[in-house]
Amino acid sequence: MVCPEGCIVEQEDEAFLPDYDYCKGCGLCAEECPAEDIEMVKEEK
Amino acid sequence: MVVDKSLELFDCGHRACGGCGPALAARLILKAAGKNTIVATATGCLEVFSSPYPETAWKVPWIHSLFENAAAVGSGIEAALKRQGRSEKVLVIGGDGASFDIGMLCISGAFERGHDLTYICYDNEAYMNTGIQRSGATPLDAHTTTSPAGRCSTGNSRPKKDMPAILAAHGAPYVATTSIAYPNDLMQKVERAMEVKGPCYVQVHAPCATGWGFESDRTMVVGKLAVETGLFVLFEQTDGTVTKVKKVMRKPVEEYLKVQKRFAHLFKPRRNEVEIARIQAMADANAAKYGIDIKLKKPMEKPAEKPVEKPGG
Amino acid sequence: MMRFIEGSIAVAEAVRMCRPQVISAYPITPQTHIVEALAEMVANCTLDAEYITVESEFSALSACLGAVAAGSRAYSATTSQGLFLMFEPCFNLAGMRLPMVMTIANRAVSAPLSIWNDQQDSISLRDSGWMQFYAEDNQEAADLHYLAYKVSEDHKVLLPAMVCFDGFILTHTYEPVDMPAQEQVDAYLPRFVPFEKLDAHDPISFGMFAFPEYYMEFRYAVDQAMQRAREKIRDAGKDLAGKIGRDYSAFVEGYQLEDAETVLIAMGSLCGTIKDAIDEMRGAGRKVGLLRIRTYRPFPGEEILAALSGAKRVAVLDKNISLGSKGAVGLEVKDALYGSGIPVLDYIVGLGGRDLRKRDIARIADLAEKGEGDLFYGLREGVA
Repeated sequence: MVCPEGCIVEQEDEAFLPDYDYCKGCGLCAEECPAEDIEMVKEEK
Repeated sequence: MVVDKSLELFDCGHRACGGCGPALAARLILKAAGKNTIVATATGCLEVFSSPYPETAWKVPWIHSLFENAAAVGSGIEAALKRQGRSEKVLVIGGDGASFDIGMLCISGAFERGHDLTYICYDNEAYMNTGIQRSGATPLDAHTTTSPAGRCSTGNSRPKKDMPAILAAHGAPYVATTSIAYPNDLMQKVERAMEVKGPCYVQVHAPCATGWGFESDRTMVVGKLAVETGLFVLFEQTDGTVTKVKKVMRKPVEEYLKVQKRFAHLFKPRRNEVEIARIQAMADANAAKYGIDIKLKKPMEKPAEKPVEKPGG
Repeated sequence: MMRFIEGSIAVAEAVRMCRPQVISAYPITPQTHIVEALAEMVANCTLDAEYITVESEFSALSACLGAVAAGSRAYSATTSQGLFLMFEPCFNLAGMRLPMVMTIANRAVSAPLSIWNDQQDSISLRDSGWMQFYAEDNQEAADLHYLAYKVSEDHKVLLPAMVCFDGFILTHTYEPVDMPAQEQVDAYLPRFVPFEKLDAHDPISFGMFAFPEYYMEFRYAVDQAMQRAREKIRDAGKDLAGKIGRDYSAFVEGYQLEDAETVLIAMGSLCGTIKDAIDEMRGAGRKVGLLRIRTYRPFPGEEILAALSGAKRVAVLDKNISLGSKGAVGLEVKDALYGSGIPVLDYIVGLGGRDLRKRDIARIADLAEKGEGDLFYGLREGVA
């Protein structure tokens, strides 16, 4: 809902996964998720 | 109006900064507006990051003309649709620079003539696309490149222009303020604005991580603080009368100011009590004017507060 | 039907018959009679259009832009300061390949302020991508609107067009004008069929921003459209001639040109005076002729060269000046005649409504024959 890109897609198992081709790594999803279910992992420096 | 809110009409792949408030605003606005919409956008961040030839993020018919004329272009579209007997709704979107300043002429004309369109201003409180310069929407004491804080200045010296009041004074049947930090409220109000006949105005507070100086994952947090401190009031106005206001357990303005680099000069090298007090007074005045304070019968136990993060943390 | 009417009204009547769906204009002297007449027609239901009383010329053209993009035939009219306020949307509209017609009631530009005629206003927009037609009289002013819409809306052109006629001299002058019947105009100018439009059933984006990798090709495309317009103007002119009996297919018009040694070049109503002056000069045995330019954009370089093969000298009467250089028409005529060996002398005339009489035309011919040119003609005593 809060992704400015609109690239988070609900998977079959009801988990939410971003389309990594479009994810900018802003972290809003992780910050706002009420279930605290999303974790930001740094890809590279 | 039944709109399929699962539809994504603002596609990903646009060039906005990560965590962009206006990008989220565009997405939510179009969800609320639906497919049967024609959009005219002013030059600015939203337009630039969404339309680099040969790509476009817009899945509805869209036109960008100039910086200051979106409302006039929208007026022309509305007239043409009326003439052709078509059902599409006209949505005009501009940033605060395009709306409060250079586009005032065209907005005033469009609203005065009563065109059936909705004007949405995504308010990131400065000319962001050109590098963070001061606009009529820049709040008091905010640092921008043309209203910088320095030895002889505490930043922007003027309060925010009251655009909703100006357009209500034009006789707009519906005026609303929203924030991307309250997405459902935003979508409801946009949907309402598009339903109401005549020129309707919705202002969307859209924090800008790059311009305001906070981490990209804090956009919603910052947006909420603006509302919770009373500096940005969420309300609805129908035919000139305020009909709905979001009430808050008000936080001191300092909590909002401290998390943004554009206000850092109010705290370092030393606290500027005078300016902080001025801003607090503005929030207090908003609270009084709109009645946003939640009045409790009994004083409540103060909940343990999350530690306030330093800017850049 | 022959009518004895004011130029502005003739134009308004012609516009009415073109059936614009959206009219958006801001009042400015000397265009006001046109937009007032159109408003009255709408109020009396003799013209079925949306009339937007905009808050500035800038908004007027912006609204037209939106209307055309949404698929409606649009119209506006302006002059001088108003046209300059439209500078930005003029380029924007042409760049987006949106067709429409706008009447320019040619007027001098500030500063100093003047409401009287010269051609600085529309000529200053010659870079914009708008086609430009200059009318000598009110008949032509009215007729050119049918032609302008037809060429503008052609899918191989898709460029907006200005129909220019001299403020006050033509706009406020009564002349006999033959107005065709609505059926004749309908037969010539069918309903507007946009090439692309804003439509929720088939969403597209207008007005992108273009990186350096793409921008030039867009501008090239606009220029190519201008070049294609040449043939379309000729065709549309011939077609119109068949319908109403008046032929505007030629970009230039020669008067007493055949054996002329001194050729005067000008645009607009001044040519009427020049023709009368030439009659007198011919009577006195002088071999003077006129080449009138009617289509200024696209510029008729080849037509000018072809028409002037026998001339010994050319005198261009420019009702405009590119300050720091010369008159715009003079410079472009020189370019067209480059290599021909024919000297081109430029005379800045009539700015701000300064009147030109037949004797002034004769004096300019004298100066040209003496080889004295590239000057402001007729300045007050003690100024030059």
